[in-house]
Amino acid sequence: MPLRPDSSPAEALLTRETQLRYGQVPAELDGVKVPEGGHFLSGSAYLLRADGLSFLYRKGEGITVERRPDADLSAQSLWLGGSVYAAIACINGFKPIHASAVAYQGQVTAFTGPSGAGKSTLIAALGQLGLPMFCDDTLVLDLSDPAQIICLPGHKRLKLTPAALAMTGAEGQEKVGAAIDKFYARPPGGEVGRPLPLGRLVFLEDGADLAAREITGAERFTRLTDDHYTETLFASARQLDRAAQFALQARLAQQIPMTRLTRPRDPAQFAASAQLAAKLVRNEEKST
Amino acid sequence: MSKKVIKARGRFSETAIDDEIVVMHLASGEFFSLTGTGRTLWLLIDGTRSRDAIVTAAAAQYGVEAADIVTDTDEFLAKLGAAGFLEAG
Repeated sequence: MPLRPDSSPAEALLTRETQLRYGQVPAELDGVKVPEGGHFLSGSAYLLRADGLSFLYRKGEGITVERRPDADLSAQSLWLGGSVYAAIACINGFKPIHASAVAYQGQVTAFTGPSGAGKSTLIAALGQLGLPMFCDDTLVLDLSDPAQIICLPGHKRLKLTPAALAMTGAEGQEKVGAAIDKFYARPPGGEVGRPLPLGRLVFLEDGADLAAREITGAERFTRLTDDHYTETLFASARQLDRAAQFALQARLAQQIPMTRLTRPRDPAQFAASAQLAAKLVRNEEKST
Repeated sequence: MSKKVIKARGRFSETAIDDEIVVMHLASGEFFSLTGTGRTLWLLIDGTRSRDAIVTAAAAQYGVEAADIVTDTDEFLAKLGAAGFLEAG
């Protein structure tokens, strides 16, 4: 991704660290053999081997890729934007979380939930309502300023299933991969590509009724436990003891307003849930 | 004079979120959420008060007689002690 002239130090660092070159990649890292389909993070290095591809990242040296002749290029792109990028972010002190986000009036509203919760679909729908996409699937947080949590612009393209394309009216582009039933899509509301503070984190949940509810107290703290692969990478890279993990989680809980958005997964009610999400983003919805 | 109630500072981390206090036992990783009276009592254990002084201060805060809350306070302190959040003594 090219750097803007006004890129932040964090963006410049990640751009530099994700420089790519092709070359030989060993099957082990720091004496640990990594099998095909496995990955290993060791201090300031990361090795991933999958789909006939091997990726080795070393801090300060960028990424080396070795590709078997039969390897799928689309898989290379997915691994680079997924686990490899997340590992590099973690090694360099950033915290990736499993969320898709939009921007509004200089702040980011991020929507999180397990895979299949409808994060990308919602982002596409919010784009149709005039809210530009900030990121899809992974939101990288810069925690270097104790006073605020800064979100770094997304590095992944929006990916939607055929059903999500139909439901949101987003414009589909090429298929993500031969074996993946998703298409890249142009974000209907455009994209915001500069760092912005995190304004709110919204947890997407299934439920019978459409409702938004503010998350308060200790629940904000416990809600931050994420089962996404990025959480494991962050723990491996930062090697935080329990007290340090607690301090980080406490900071996030104190600084991030959180809301639970419950909605039926009925396509007939999708437009209403997108409207409610848009109101949350625009601070027009007073959640209970 | 009864002994002061002292928190075992090195054994836990705590943080306040809204009107709750989250305490984590560092050895076990177990979390506790303190609200209402539990939060009040936890904040009164500041290293300067004995059990009796905690009861008196809590009673004053809630506008009740000390006798009305002494049992609850003892139970709460016993739980904190069992969880390892208080210095033995």
